[in-house]
Amino acid sequence: MNIEQYITNLREKFPEIINIEVINTKRLMVYVSRDQLPLITEYWFNELQYRYIIVSAMDSKDGYEIIYHYSDDKSGWIMSLSVLLAHDKPEIESMTPIVYGIEWIEREIMDILGVKFLNHPKPERFLLAESWPEDEYPYRRKYRQGDR
Amino acid sequence: MGKKTIVPIGPYHPLLEEPEFFKLYCDGETVVDMEWETGYNHRGIEKICESKTFEQVFYVVERICGICSTSHPFAYANAVESIGGVQIPVRAKLIRSIVGELERIHSHLLWVGLAGHFLGYNTVFMWAWKYREPVLDMFEIITGNRNSYAMFTIGGVRRDIDEAKASQLLQVLDDVKRKTDLLTGAVMDDPVIHARLKGVGTLTAKDIHDFGAVGPTARASGVDIDVRRDDPYAAYDMVDWKVITTTEGDVFAKAKIRLLETYESISIIRQCLELLKKEKPGEIKTKVKDIPAGIGIGHAEAPRGEVFHYVKSDGSNSPVRHKIRAPSYNCITTFRRSCIGGTISDAAIATAAVDPCYCCTERMVQAIDYKTGKRIMNATDIIKLSQKKTEELKAKM
Amino acid sequence: MNIKDLSFKKSLWVFHLSAGSCNNCDIEILDLLTPRYDVERFGMKLVGSVRHADVLLVTGIVTNKTKPRVLEVYEQAPKPIIVIAIGACPCTGGIFASGYNFAGPLDKVIPVDAYVPGCPPKPEAMLAAVMKLLGKPASEQAKES
Repeated sequence: MNIEQYITNLREKFPEIINIEVINTKRLMVYVSRDQLPLITEYWFNELQYRYIIVSAMDSKDGYEIIYHYSDDKSGWIMSLSVLLAHDKPEIESMTPIVYGIEWIEREIMDILGVKFLNHPKPERFLLAESWPEDEYPYRRKYRQGDR
Repeated sequence: MGKKTIVPIGPYHPLLEEPEFFKLYCDGETVVDMEWETGYNHRGIEKICESKTFEQVFYVVERICGICSTSHPFAYANAVESIGGVQIPVRAKLIRSIVGELERIHSHLLWVGLAGHFLGYNTVFMWAWKYREPVLDMFEIITGNRNSYAMFTIGGVRRDIDEAKASQLLQVLDDVKRKTDLLTGAVMDDPVIHARLKGVGTLTAKDIHDFGAVGPTARASGVDIDVRRDDPYAAYDMVDWKVITTTEGDVFAKAKIRLLETYESISIIRQCLELLKKEKPGEIKTKVKDIPAGIGIGHAEAPRGEVFHYVKSDGSNSPVRHKIRAPSYNCITTFRRSCIGGTISDAAIATAAVDPCYCCTERMVQAIDYKTGKRIMNATDIIKLSQKKTEELKAKM
Repeated sequence: MNIKDLSFKKSLWVFHLSAGSCNNCDIEILDLLTPRYDVERFGMKLVGSVRHADVLLVTGIVTNKTKPRVLEVYEQAPKPIIVIAIGACPCTGGIFASGYNFAGPLDKVIPVDAYVPGCPPKPEAMLAAVMKLLGKPASEQAKES
């Protein structure tokens, strides 16, 4: 798989992509905005038939980073889509209408990080016990000077 | 193999009465909807990993699931070593593959036993688990423990396999092959098993795609994916083996694939042991000073499918973020397609077909009448129903 | 009625409860049934309901979600019941003790009679624990049954 050609084609198709980076052997990271996410998800999942792997989410200094991981099994490349959400507005459209399987991981991220997935078919508590306090998100960090 | 007399000796499976994981909503005998309640096992492992060093994380992740005890360290090692561009010695690659394939053998035999129990073939359960024992003994000889092997380290493996262990392993493999032949014959040729498993819990290739299902669940529906071939790691591109697929997508297909994969695993181990003779003994680890900042994405093919680890490092001693995805997470969601429309008596075997972690399979299913919302059956009842259906089929044949 | 009386009057029926385990201990417990260890020769069998059990084996850490269930199962168990914590997890929390979902070691939730440490403990260790509780060496027990 000619990765340079692939990146060029992707940039042509979606000119507003923020950045594309080959982070490692056969690992590509594409940084997009909230609005572009459904378009590229549709392209990768439906048109190119990439396999949905999982969504990982992290509370970083600059915001909540949500990364959607897909696999192009024919070439062995793992393609990841990274979206950054502001700390004071952690909301994003649910990708469940496009990728059915994403339903559960979005519920999990709602529980552990407090990110809101808009128009999610079943935005109920998933992982944490009913007795767990509503506003406590175990994977949120309290950033102070010198923290990572 | 002639007909066997099955002596029902009671519900072997340790079944938990209350915390039901799966709720099957039923209208009469038919399952109309399904919901999964989870979080019982949620131990906050990803967060725990952030407070451990990269090396210590191995011992945490191998306890995510006891059956896939090698696969998680495998994927994690692939992730972390890719951050630092660490090249591991060939001997370490071979040993990693050997342990990984031994795990596949023991896991598939375990599954055959469980499936046998759900169908009411308790003899199959006893045999399969008895034939597993020599494999667990080999684990103990090679790694020091029957489960939770602690074999992996950053840069290689922790213990070597010497000539004596290698020859013992070869003998065990011969034995396992013979026993697998017996099991395969008993399972694959039995007309009652055909009747119980064919056409049950069928998933199409589109279902697999929609949910991102992996492993034998996917391969049974004609989706030709296997991390060992698609993105090779360890010694999988140094040996000859094939990916087993079929197209029917039902439980029988999944059972067939697991049994055939056992033979492939035996072959892979034999080839690895041959190659091991050419490598200098003792060179099992590359020295790694520290892991630089960066992102590592690693995956490995566990017996159940792809295990995925995402590790973010900032150059310190511990991961900043570690995201773990076990294969069952994506495979279990397919129950919506495989169970709905079927009967309750088929639900036990259809859910077992994706081989969710044993612990998950156990305390799970309950059947709820979808009109009244009342529970009509618990897990024990559902398994008994499944076993009863087998008895009825046998009487007819 | 003490434990020794129980063992002479009838064979032990065992109920296994997994509070939040990784399965290692669970499959080692199931292994006890298989021909190699075959606990049935000691008169022990696994039952599907705690209401019929004499012994409660608990594996895994008690998480926030399973804590009420563990208590419920203990309530339903006929007393006296022997509770055995199998594995490092119910004994102390093991490697997961620092997790945010850890609801305490098992003996903070229900009374525990025996602890079998290990991760996982070997089937022989579990058998040895039960034999110790019964107060008779395995060879004598085998002669009686």
